Amino acid sequence: MIAFLAKRTVALVATVLLASFAVFLIPYATPGDPARKIIRSRVAGDAIDESAISSLTTELGLHDPLFVQFHRWLGRFLSGDMGLSYSSQTPVVEQVLPALGITLTLVVAALGVAVLVSLILGITSGLHEGRRTDRVITTVTQALIAIPEYWLAPMLVLIFAVKLTLLPSAGWVSGASLVLPVAVLAARPSSYFTSAVRSGMIEALDAEHVTAARSRGLSYPRTIMRHVIPNGLLPLATLLAVWFAGLLGGSVIVEVIFSIPGMGRLLYDAVLNNDIPVAQGSVVLVVALAVAITTMADLVHRTLNPLLGDNRA
Amino acid sequence: MPESLIIDNLHASGTTSASAPLPVLTGVSLSVQPGEFVALIGGSGSGKTITAMSAMQLLPPQLAVTSGSIRLGKLELTLATENQLNQMRGGRMGMLFQQPKRMFNPRMTIGAHLREPLRLHGKLRGHAAEAQVISLLAEVGLPDPAWCAKAYPHQLSGGMAQRAMTAVALAGQPDILIADEPTSALDKSLEGQILSLIDSQRRDRGLGVLYITHNIATVAAFADRIFVMKNGRIIESGPTAQVLSNPQSDETKHLLNASSLSASSTGHTSTNAPKVLTVDGASKAFRMGRGRKKAVLSNVSLSLHRGEILGILGQSGSGKSTLARSIVGLEELDSGHITHTSGGNGSESAAVGPKVQLVFQEPHDSFDPRMKLRTSLEAPLLRHTKITAADRRERVERVTNEVGLDSRLLDHRPGQCSGGQLQRMAIARALLLEPDVLICDEATSALDALSQRRILDLLLRLHKERGLSLMIISHDMAIIQHMCNRVAVIFEGQLVELAATDEFFKTPRHAHSQELVAVSAPLWPLPNIGYGQLPAPNVL
Repeated sequence: MIAFLAKRTVALVATVLLASFAVFLIPYATPGDPARKIIRSRVAGDAIDESAISSLTTELGLHDPLFVQFHRWLGRFLSGDMGLSYSSQTPVVEQVLPALGITLTLVVAALGVAVLVSLILGITSGLHEGRRTDRVITTVTQALIAIPEYWLAPMLVLIFAVKLTLLPSAGWVSGASLVLPVAVLAARPSSYFTSAVRSGMIEALDAEHVTAARSRGLSYPRTIMRHVIPNGLLPLATLLAVWFAGLLGGSVIVEVIFSIPGMGRLLYDAVLNNDIPVAQGSVVLVVALAVAITTMADLVHRTLNPLLGDNRA
Repeated sequence: MPESLIIDNLHASGTTSASAPLPVLTGVSLSVQPGEFVALIGGSGSGKTITAMSAMQLLPPQLAVTSGSIRLGKLELTLATENQLNQMRGGRMGMLFQQPKRMFNPRMTIGAHLREPLRLHGKLRGHAAEAQVISLLAEVGLPDPAWCAKAYPHQLSGGMAQRAMTAVALAGQPDILIADEPTSALDKSLEGQILSLIDSQRRDRGLGVLYITHNIATVAAFADRIFVMKNGRIIESGPTAQVLSNPQSDETKHLLNASSLSASSTGHTSTNAPKVLTVDGASKAFRMGRGRKKAVLSNVSLSLHRGEILGILGQSGSGKSTLARSIVGLEELDSGHITHTSGGNGSESAAVGPKVQLVFQEPHDSFDPRMKLRTSLEAPLLRHTKITAADRRERVERVTNEVGLDSRLLDHRPGQCSGGQLQRMAIARALLLEPDVLICDEATSALDALSQRRILDLLLRLHKERGLSLMIISHDMAIIQHMCNRVAVIFEGQLVELAATDEFFKTPRHAHSQELVAVSAPLWPLPNIGYGQLPAPNVL
């Protein structure tokens, strides 16, 4: 277990380092001189002072080799200094952290809803495999997978905000403003989770040890609760981690549509405005979080499934 | 006071096709008295298991009892309420299954399984239950009960798992134990141990035993009465001695025949024949966590000659499967070499390659359940780009016919085939690459006696017709004696003896070999049965 943890931690750090290096390279990969781009973003109009560019180049150490620059950038980054936003001239940290909080709220809420929905629908459908209940649930959830967020979101806004005026159409003010974005964000994972829980249940029901449990005198409901549902839910743990990471980056559409000042929105704006420090800060943070969550899920999966923890690394 | 199980004129049929339900049991009648050992014998598909599951009232939804009665003492099980049945199952009638490891929930410890019946039937919880768990595990002869209680099913060997399952089945103090082929996946000495365990339980506390098996020889020494089933009917029954000495029906005679294998008819092969496979100083250890290592193979050296059948004999856990897997490259050796000498030019290659093929024990596990058999069989040929699709198809069908199967079976999926058919398919797949050497790792131990016999006959035919060199890995002395020219005995990862088969069975040299040969001596004086490899109960 300790060897596994060590291995995983090394992999985690390596992934984040690699990702941050890629992110660090963004300004160098895009055409043009970074110093010139910075000056241009700060100064209105076309008149650019060439001496300002050369002094900024020296100031930023842009003459140094790439790895020296990366080292410097990473050191600052780790101490919490992500630089200044080109557009607002405020520290990037002050923009990124609140945005991350909002996105996390959104993602956690959406996954919570998805898990709840999938437990109810997936278990019901798995226990009634092939019957009408199962067919209806499967058809509906499969259809939901095919509906894109950018269509679902306006439709829900049209119905609940415009026609029924029950919920706000956009913004981030009250609990009510959570409802529509969370619903849109939860739609797809709900469908995937439901079908995972369903097939997990069917497989778990099919296992021979279920018959053995009945032969010991366990009633049908107790057998389902003790031996089928816990085993059937194992695939959900893995899927949950994948989707957590996916939604962190994928919330951008929902955030833009509902004008929610979250991470996705921040990144979207940063890219449009060529605000490289903000883009760098948000991407590195999201990647680190996603990798950490995937690793955690692996650990959880290992404790849930004793078959994985043994003998062979 | 223990009660008896009486099944009277039981009929059962399928529930799926409403118009013409297929009868699966027709007028089955049998009884088990307290303290009685009753054997129910038949080939696969004869209705033995369905009879057992009817008694437990746990038939799958596509089957149902249509008429007849099943009484446990005064309780009529066909009319009992779900509550009464839940109390009966495990509390008054316990059950053992064929694959003990699959019968445990992989996510739960053995102790957690045992606590279920203790709580349901003995009203034991907490410390009292914990103490009972340990004492039950000790009672079934598990060496370290405290460790076992905390262990997960996959950490137990097959024999240990069946002991643990016996503890679970007996935890509720049942009157009747239904044992559905509990030992057919175990080796001979483990089988004897489990049978003696069940036997001592019936002597000590009057447990009635309904023991289901396809192998008459297994139960000959224990059973009071024998019932023989075929096509859902009881076709013969009576006291054991009478059925065995004077079998009436053809089916009983077939079953008797299949469970007796004659000693090798293949005789000696000249050890002057060129070597086709050489294992030199093979060693392998598995990591056990926390830096501990367990040696599974230590310095094993042996060779297989062209046209020879070499038996590798060993108990479960002796390292014989690791040897087989290492030869075909599924395991990497820590040290040692494996050399294959191919055909005409005598060139040697370190990588053994496709000329040595392996057939596994579990036919259902060696095929992808989602693929048609044709796809599975064609897969190894796809690497060879020179073979056209039509040629591939033709080769697959030819080899399917060669192993005695209809090529229409190729369009089925593994789930639709019997174990015997699938094992033939596995052999066919191995033959597709035109191997010189076929390694059979317990290739028949998951099969019933009749299918087992047919596979062995097929292997002997292929050996003769194709000049295949065979390596037969088995724990079954009878198979080794029947098939092999030479025997190699692996014990705790070491090669302890290598001798010609007849010599080996006459004068085994190593202590472990002597033990193996001793327990394979017939115990029950059966007419025409040379297969009574049962350890004497008092020895265990």
